Amino acid sequence: MPTLVNPMNERAPQAAPAAPRLATLQGKTIALLDISKPGGSIFLDRLERLLKDRHQVAQVLRAMKPTFAKPAPADVIDKIRAADAVIEALAD
Amino acid sequence: MPALRLLAILQTDCPTCRLITPYLNKLASNRTTVSAVSQDAEDATNEFVRQMEVRFPVRRDPGFELSKRFEVVTVPTLYVLDENDRIVRQEPGFDKTALNEIAALLGHPPVATPYDGAPASKPGCTSRHLETLTEDAPAAALDLHSPRGAQASLIELAGSDDLHEYCFRAFGDALPVVPPTKERVERMLHTAAHDPEEVIARIPPCYGEATLEKIAANAVMAGCRPEMMRVLIPLARAVADERFNAHGVQATTHFAAPLIIVNGPVRGELGFHSRQNVFSNVARANSTLGRALQLILLNLGGARPDGIDMSALGNPGKFSYCIAENEEESPWEPLHAEQGLARAQSAVTLFAAEAPHGVSEHNARSARGVLKAVSYALASVWSYRACLAYEAVVVLGPEHVKTIHHDGFSKQDVRDFLFENTGVPLRCYSDGEPGEGVAQRGMYKEISIDGEPCYQKFRSPEAIKIVVAGGTAGKFSAVLGSWAAGPRGSQMVTYPI
Repeated sequence: MPTLVNPMNERAPQAAPAAPRLATLQGKTIALLDISKPGGSIFLDRLERLLKDRHQVAQVLRAMKPTFAKPAPADVIDKIRAADAVIEALAD
Repeated sequence: MPALRLLAILQTDCPTCRLITPYLNKLASNRTTVSAVSQDAEDATNEFVRQMEVRFPVRRDPGFELSKRFEVVTVPTLYVLDENDRIVRQEPGFDKTALNEIAALLGHPPVATPYDGAPASKPGCTSRHLETLTEDAPAAALDLHSPRGAQASLIELAGSDDLHEYCFRAFGDALPVVPPTKERVERMLHTAAHDPEEVIARIPPCYGEATLEKIAANAVMAGCRPEMMRVLIPLARAVADERFNAHGVQATTHFAAPLIIVNGPVRGELGFHSRQNVFSNVARANSTLGRALQLILLNLGGARPDGIDMSALGNPGKFSYCIAENEEESPWEPLHAEQGLARAQSAVTLFAAEAPHGVSEHNARSARGVLKAVSYALASVWSYRACLAYEAVVVLGPEHVKTIHHDGFSKQDVRDFLFENTGVPLRCYSDGEPGEGVAQRGMYKEISIDGEPCYQKFRSPEAIKIVVAGGTAGKFSAVLGSWAAGPRGSQMVTYPI
């Protein structure tokens, strides 16, 4: 049998472990990431009210990707880096 | 000339710092004094130096003393210093023009060329001492710019395996492939004057290394002749060009697929076909180059049609999508010349395209008559009420071109006519029904087309890309809609071969 040259990507993807889940939202900083799809801001506005009114979060950070068609640029990631959790809206 | 030296302040996990490092390596190669300061710990710095094959001294910056003294805001920042360590020039981020200007200051030839696959410029990251601190351990840095990849592994099949079935199952796109045997891959590599492990590009969205060897293996599978390597190398760079945004094109739910348009003398040299059946199965060069790109995208980029490639309906072009311009039947400047290259230069262009939409017009006797038929097809690109955000390629058939040219139209006249005559009637927005493009109408420009008030479909005449292709019998043209266009979507890219 002939020897084959492996044509596939052989770099194993590096899986990042998920951050530990929060036990409570109270007093936490939550980032809301809008990927700039239509309707995303409507969903996140409502979520921000719920987080503040019902769950007593300390602070809500709002960030928006300039386009949903590309990965988030470094400055958007920098903006939400300090949050305890991030909620991303994929709305359309 | 006073002795100038270059100091770079870098971070090991900043993508822009990694992007700039091979250029600093080039600068360091010609008796130019280059050194760098890493804002990171020793382990990360050593790993960075190893991965990026750094050829200049790198020292660390404990307590960010030096970064603070230089008031660094962004990494990378390059400083050109004189013999008294006074700053002659400083340049934050990555910018090819600035790099070449700095090279000139240092008495070095230019180090950055427009077609090496890297963007013209890219902003950097925040200097470490100004970053928001978190307690979490930093994630491993993505290696997207090291110059050398891993050697491809070799696969020995058991005697009981069926070679063709194995390759079909393990490497294919849903059609059988030519087995990438060691001998065939070596023949393919023979024509390319590069190291087989050199990384030509990293293919989004999974950023698999397109080493020369991996490109060759996929080209073998697609049925390419070895001479095709000279096209595949710039093509791999083009598809990974950030402006083309393969990351989005390959993962979208939309129809888009990368359409390759070949121009220049390479068409004749390698047998690219530009005439009848140009979009279909007429020539080995077109079909195998298009398929090789698709196999590279699947096998190295990782967007498989049952996974990351989320296209709702797909596109037959995802088997192979490659045409050549019929420059011989065109009285106008070809596409690659409009994109800034010399006419005698061979080139590949990529456009994220829908499937071709046919335009038949056998009875019109004037440029205006033919182009009106094209404009009605253009008016419905993406969705009928969506304006401004999309582009289109118009492939004009030679018979239509004859009629248009006979009326004295230049290529710019064609583009201007289509721009001025493509619109969506205002009455389409009057039913109160929500729909794509309706909420954005405040941004649209109202024009009159044949007395009817319309919104202008395209942002500018340049949103309409014109290519001449097809056979000389049959008065047909085609319109190919884009994916999301412009800097927020995918931009057409042209690379010299």
